[in-house]
Amino acid sequence: MTGQEWARFLARRVAAAIAVVLVLSFGIFALLYLAPGSVEQTLLGTKPASPETIGAIRAQYHLDEPFLVQYLRWLGAALHLDFGTSIRSGSQVGTEISARLPLTIVLVLYGSALAVAAGLPLGVWAAVRRGLAVDRLATGASIAAVSAPPFAVGLLLLFVFAIGLGWFPVYGTGETPAQTLWHLTLPAIALGLGGMGLIVRLTRAAMVGELDQDYIVFARARGLRGRTVVGYALRNSLVPVLTAAGLIVTSTLVGTVLVEVTFALPGLGSLLVDSVTFKDVPVVQAVALLLTVLIAIINLVVDVAYAVVDPRIALGREAS
Amino acid sequence: MSLVSVRGLNVSLTGPHGRSLLSGVDLGIAAGESVALVGESGSGKSLTARAILGLLPPGLTRTGSIRIGDTDIDPGADAMAPLRGGTVALLLQDPFTMLNPLRRVGRQIADSLVAHERATSDTRRMAVTRRLAEVGLLASVADRYPFQLSGGMRQRVGIAAALAGDPALLVADEPTTALDVTTQRDVLALVRRIQHERGMGLLLITHDLRIAFSVCDRAVVMYAGRVMEDGESTVIRARPAHPYTRALLAAEPPLDRRLVTIPTIPGSVPRHDDVAGSCPFADRCALVSDECRRGRPVLAEHDGRRVACIRAAEIGTGQSAPSAVAPVPTPGDPGPALLSVAGLGKTYRGSETPALIGVSLTVAPGESVGIVGESGSGKTTLARCVVGLETPGSGSITFDGSDITDWSSLDATRRRDLRRAVQMVFQDPYSTLNPVRTVGATLREALVAMGQPAGRRDLAQLLTLVGLPEGYATKRPASLSGGERQRVSIARALAGRPQLLVCDESVSALDVSVQAQILDLLTGLQRDLGMALLFITHDLAVVRQVTDKVYVLHHGACVEHGPTGQVLDNPRDDYTRGLLQSVPREDSGWLMP
Amino acid sequence: MTAQSPVRGRGLVRRGFQHRPGAMVWVSLVIVAAALVAAIIGPLLVPGATDQHLLTGITPPGPGHPLGTDQLGRDVLQLLVAGARTAVLGALVVALGSLVLGNMIGVPAGYFGGWRDGLAMRWADLMFSLPALLVAIVVTGVLGGGFVLAVLVLVVLFSPGDARLARAAVLDQRHRPYVEAARLLDLSASRIMSRHVWPNVMPVVTANAFLNFAFALVALASLSFLGLGVEPGSPDWGRTLADNRSQLLANPWAALAPAIAIVTTAVAVTIVGDWVHERLEARGRAR
Repeated sequence: MTGQEWARFLARRVAAAIAVVLVLSFGIFALLYLAPGSVEQTLLGTKPASPETIGAIRAQYHLDEPFLVQYLRWLGAALHLDFGTSIRSGSQVGTEISARLPLTIVLVLYGSALAVAAGLPLGVWAAVRRGLAVDRLATGASIAAVSAPPFAVGLLLLFVFAIGLGWFPVYGTGETPAQTLWHLTLPAIALGLGGMGLIVRLTRAAMVGELDQDYIVFARARGLRGRTVVGYALRNSLVPVLTAAGLIVTSTLVGTVLVEVTFALPGLGSLLVDSVTFKDVPVVQAVALLLTVLIAIINLVVDVAYAVVDPRIALGREAS
Repeated sequence: MSLVSVRGLNVSLTGPHGRSLLSGVDLGIAAGESVALVGESGSGKSLTARAILGLLPPGLTRTGSIRIGDTDIDPGADAMAPLRGGTVALLLQDPFTMLNPLRRVGRQIADSLVAHERATSDTRRMAVTRRLAEVGLLASVADRYPFQLSGGMRQRVGIAAALAGDPALLVADEPTTALDVTTQRDVLALVRRIQHERGMGLLLITHDLRIAFSVCDRAVVMYAGRVMEDGESTVIRARPAHPYTRALLAAEPPLDRRLVTIPTIPGSVPRHDDVAGSCPFADRCALVSDECRRGRPVLAEHDGRRVACIRAAEIGTGQSAPSAVAPVPTPGDPGPALLSVAGLGKTYRGSETPALIGVSLTVAPGESVGIVGESGSGKTTLARCVVGLETPGSGSITFDGSDITDWSSLDATRRRDLRRAVQMVFQDPYSTLNPVRTVGATLREALVAMGQPAGRRDLAQLLTLVGLPEGYATKRPASLSGGERQRVSIARALAGRPQLLVCDESVSALDVSVQAQILDLLTGLQRDLGMALLFITHDLAVVRQVTDKVYVLHHGACVEHGPTGQVLDNPRDDYTRGLLQSVPREDSGWLMP
Repeated sequence: MTAQSPVRGRGLVRRGFQHRPGAMVWVSLVIVAAALVAAIIGPLLVPGATDQHLLTGITPPGPGHPLGTDQLGRDVLQLLVAGARTAVLGALVVALGSLVLGNMIGVPAGYFGGWRDGLAMRWADLMFSLPALLVAIVVTGVLGGGFVLAVLVLVVLFSPGDARLARAAVLDQRHRPYVEAARLLDLSASRIMSRHVWPNVMPVVTANAFLNFAFALVALASLSFLGLGVEPGSPDWGRTLADNRSQLLANPWAALAPAIAIVTTAVAVTIVGDWVHERLEARGRAR
């Protein structure tokens, strides 16, 4: 693929991602108006409603202007990372998020890494040993892992490894980076298990499909040995495997909400849940927008990775 | 010395009650010898090849002895693995799926090079270039991906890759079935040339006796998982001994003359186990006796070859009596056209080259017109435009006075009437019927849609028309053979008694013996019902048997047309001439440049 | 493909081995059946399950309470039976609702193509760029929770998956000769879609409904766990788990039992779904 074709391809993908974020941001802003009760009431929270406070709120949020203008103001401010003030705490939403973001990012990366590191080899192994004991075991385990919600798994892990065996801490995030990693291990396992199941299933299915192809028979028929043949199949399975990897990152991003609540960790997820429960709309909007952008970026990266892996995709040409 | 020696090969589904797919297969290939394994689908020829390579699909087990050179191959572990590539290599049939889609062609060839050539990148590069040259490709092809190559080029790359390990035997499984006739000729000529030059053994799997005889020294005819006849190509060609070989030869429609009826073999190929205790061909054999059903005939020497027929001595050898040749029709006044296509053009969205460029043709009532071309010639697009499955970009189509260029612009009643008058039979018998509906439901729906009475008797009548028993109404497509499905599909098209039947490659997916049945059925129906046929095919011999007039398409344009006999006997266009020369013949002459 | 004739003689060479229903499938079928029975008549079986006995409080397993009691003094085993209704029926509604909605959008999109297809797929792309659970948390949370709203939101968010699947399956069928032959019989598009195409697409979408059932079970349980799906004090599995998770030392079963119920039911549904998929696919291949 030439540089120009690449540039055109990238531009198309980026534009699509931005369009998606814009559409969803509109919905996120509209949450303010969808919440039950009047907008002023929502924004006042527990503060007493008097003509003065309502007037102040209306001025602060420009509620007298048309809806579209309000949206654009909000979006413009968001681009400068200004999300207003939290109704619950009264502090800047941006500050609250930046205090909580690192933990969540570490947790998501840790969980995703565990999922891919364990799931990918297991999926390949199961496919190569199709129908044998390893395959049955891996398939069974992946079904369980995919179906088990992270909070239930987290609870079981806590009960067995923290309370029962005492190998891991029950609460807290630790002081040093090493300690943090130690504290986040059980949450990361709870978080990554579902993703691992997903990648085992998708990798196995893709590999089984590829290993059934004529080109594998032909490779074996001209004397290519095991490792080369598995390499052929793996290379051709990469597109579904990449899809799985993208799904894993997004699903851990969502799962972190449940896991942070289960393990009482002060991350973005628990912030979202607390704010949702309190109807702290500015914080909910900010977190939702942040997650939307993150997911759009992940999808974009996966899309571009497809094209790198399979030259036919970017050229818009299908294999015969 | 024998390169490969197979004795008493059996392949069955794994398990205590697994049914057998082939049994008692004996096969020997000497060094430098070329052997063809010939048979229709279900004959077990491909499985035999896979068994020799030790590449049977999972779930199948083989017993019996296979020796490669001096080594006895144990069926248990993958004992063939060290011998694949260097001693025996397998070439598959579909060039579009055979190559790794995401690996450059040169690297795929390099992957199977012999060790010393693989040593450094320089030796690798040189070896790849040399092997590409051997199959007639430029060195630059090495840097391409398979999807950037044509089917013929991919099959050449496949040959280069299969031969990169310098095997003593190449097993080629229908290597040209997925290719156009002209490409088929080139690839077969190439395989034959390389085999001679290298002095390599060749086992060619094919369904086409003409290809077997012209490419290989020896032919082994298989049927329902057994070997029926095994001998020198020249011997079998001149004097086939087994009634099956004879019938198969006779069922191949000739290119040079039109027969009144093509000799057919009734029924279809049985499953191995259904004919286990008798001669597998007994039920379809014209020369059957009670004795044939009593036991399983063994291969025995007879008249210079081995044949598995107990009556071989009694019935003698030789081709069956030649069939009657149809008289050349005197071209009369065809009268006003039923269908007339004028200046038809069509370019598919997203495609740069047009599928059709200004094609014109006429079909008179009751006339049979052929459209011949290779893939990409636009012949199928033309057929689809006529029946309204595609809308042409330019030009016009008129049927019986109505403009049917754009079917969607017709009013509902007129369209319904025209639907009744113009129907189509498709190519693939396996997807032409809805798998979840019974034959009866499919046909009843067609009768109702065409405004015909659809009672039990009407249904039975329709089935009888295409040569199927009434009882078939309750069957589902899965329990029918390919030929039977195609009959049902013809019946569906005939429900409204059309004036024009468009057949799009309707026999090309069928075995030769079944193809002959369907061709006879179609010509009979055309005559009896007085309907016109528009017959789309790539097969010139079929065109000769079925059509009065023929149009030859090439890259979307009509290069030649005229009465079928005239066009095939005295082609004026170079392309038509080339096409005619590419049709397989039983002698090796057609493979010479 | 430019092949003249379909590739021949690969029937048996192509086909692999096939699965038989094993013990796991039978066990899973029993679990799914039990969960459905509990969902339908459970509250009738254990009429007093949700009555609070605050004096009893949380107790470990003992006589009369095989799994102990929760912090409101309710028998955990009875709670499990009573809680199946919201946990299982809600998920079933999500799976079926999304099946219907998704197919109503996906089948015509695949069959007609063109603008209908473009519109449907852009919509699906948009929905897909957001994870269902996240949207459900935000929407049900901000709009004030409620079980019905949670179920509706999940139906809408699950349906693009069904729509895409149905569309792809229909696209695969659309150009098959049997569909084109039906068009040549001048049958109406709705008849071709419902009588010819859909029966052949059904295996894939049905199998997917089972997967959706399992995912919806987990999603609804997650929502109730976060306090968004059902009212506090409801016997719903996710809610019971959340209410008792701080009492792991007093009676671990009060939290573990609903957790195990959620996991086993979801796993069983997935296994049954996989098996159905394999069965239907094998039947399709045999045709």
